[in-house]
Amino acid sequence: MDGDFLSLLPEHPLSRLRTSDPQALAVHQVEATTVLAFHYRQGVLMAGDHRATADNLIFSDRVDKILPLDGDSLMAIAGSPAVALEMARTLETSFEFYRRSQLQTMSLQAKTRALSQLLKENIPMVMQGVGTVVPIFAGVDYSLPKPAPTIHFYDPLGAQFETTSFASSGSGSGNVKSILAFQERWGSPAPHNMDLKQATTFALRLLTTAAQFDSATGGVDPRLNRYASVYSLRPGEVRRITDEEQAQWWGKEKKA
Amino acid sequence: MSELFQWLEAIHDRGEYVRDQLSHATPVFALSRPEGILLVGVGLGQSKVFEIYDRHAIAALGNPVDIEKIRQTAIEAAHLEGFNRSPQDVTLRRLMSYSLSPALKNSFESVFQPPLIVEGVFAEVGETPQDDVLMEFSHDGNFGVVPDGLAVVSSNTAAATQAKNWLRQRLKPHSHRNRVLGLLLAMWQAMTNGERIGNSIKSAQLDTIDLGGRALEMALLDRKTPNKVKYQALTGDA
Repeated sequence: MDGDFLSLLPEHPLSRLRTSDPQALAVHQVEATTVLAFHYRQGVLMAGDHRATADNLIFSDRVDKILPLDGDSLMAIAGSPAVALEMARTLETSFEFYRRSQLQTMSLQAKTRALSQLLKENIPMVMQGVGTVVPIFAGVDYSLPKPAPTIHFYDPLGAQFETTSFASSGSGSGNVKSILAFQERWGSPAPHNMDLKQATTFALRLLTTAAQFDSATGGVDPRLNRYASVYSLRPGEVRRITDEEQAQWWGKEKKA
Repeated sequence: MSELFQWLEAIHDRGEYVRDQLSHATPVFALSRPEGILLVGVGLGQSKVFEIYDRHAIAALGNPVDIEKIRQTAIEAAHLEGFNRSPQDVTLRRLMSYSLSPALKNSFESVFQPPLIVEGVFAEVGETPQDDVLMEFSHDGNFGVVPDGLAVVSSNTAAATQAKNWLRQRLKPHSHRNRVLGLLLAMWQAMTNGERIGNSIKSAQLDTIDLGGRALEMALLDRKTPNKVKYQALTGDA
């Protein structure tokens, strides 16, 4: 018993991610989205639109793509939702299983490696052109003298990179990254100097802009009471920014 | 016939052996309250009271290695069930009936293996105190629902019954948690010292009680928190 939930799964046929049967992994690919994460003054803000598409079809405008994994980490999913949601569920259980069985929290390095491991095991599906997942992960690094949240992005094969400022994934990410890079360099305030309200409003603007150029991104539409999945991560705190808060802060921004 | 007799004799001897080993252990308590379920024990730190799953916890006494075995079995079963179905499908009744109780019974009756020296109480917090579930279990796999929201687990069952009666008369739902803790610790001290349980026992003061160099282990399965994880480790001044 070493607290490794992933090693339990091959013994119990519960997950498509941990199986020797490749047929079990065959899924219909559904992708295209925009998710993003950036450092703001008090922590990390992670946001994503609510739209899920299959080719030109809109599946749903109520999908949550930002998923709290535990009290210290968030994951933004882009790519095949079937595989991505399974990865998130596996990680969520894995982190809690480790914490409860080993009586200590898993280190940030171990968490990022666990996601990397799942992506590597998904390579056969990526090579077949289905089931690709390109997530963003944010977690608190308690090994730092002053614990702080960090942002990590991945390629579909499982390579993991830490970013010092921002990350974005999905079909609308190109536009978002350009704006974030511009704002970080010349903006006032720069994202890392924004407070929570400013950062949330900025994230909503980013998603709205992405939606303008990418039909697979849902964007934000206050007239339809449609907002985004927005979460803040600080040491010991994962906080969901509610639709009501988004509406209030977005409305004030529009008036200003 | 003689083999059956030998087996029965072996089981009887094992029972005596386990009870003798458990007689050195100090009691643990679980109490359903308006804010959640309070679990209390005194040990070496992370040795008596543990989180099991989102709504579940255990307070146990016995051999530390055996407590660990039953704890790990419970955690593993709960997480596999929660992963396979959903966290709402992880219930104490199913955990006890299909995972933990059979494991304990098998261990006790496998006469060529050392028995598990462990007893305790599992807790599952619900929406209201009426929805809470407390289940006491013994080393031989027997288990039962605690009907009135108060569990006192001790190798001395007569003392445990007296302790429950003593506590029932004094514990009130609206009592401050420090008052509740003072009563539980006073009873812990009386049972540990083998004192007669009666009106002479006074509520303990948290800052003056002698725990014999051991640490207070206390947790709350918090009914009010919006978080999915209800377990909250508490310190003595909570």
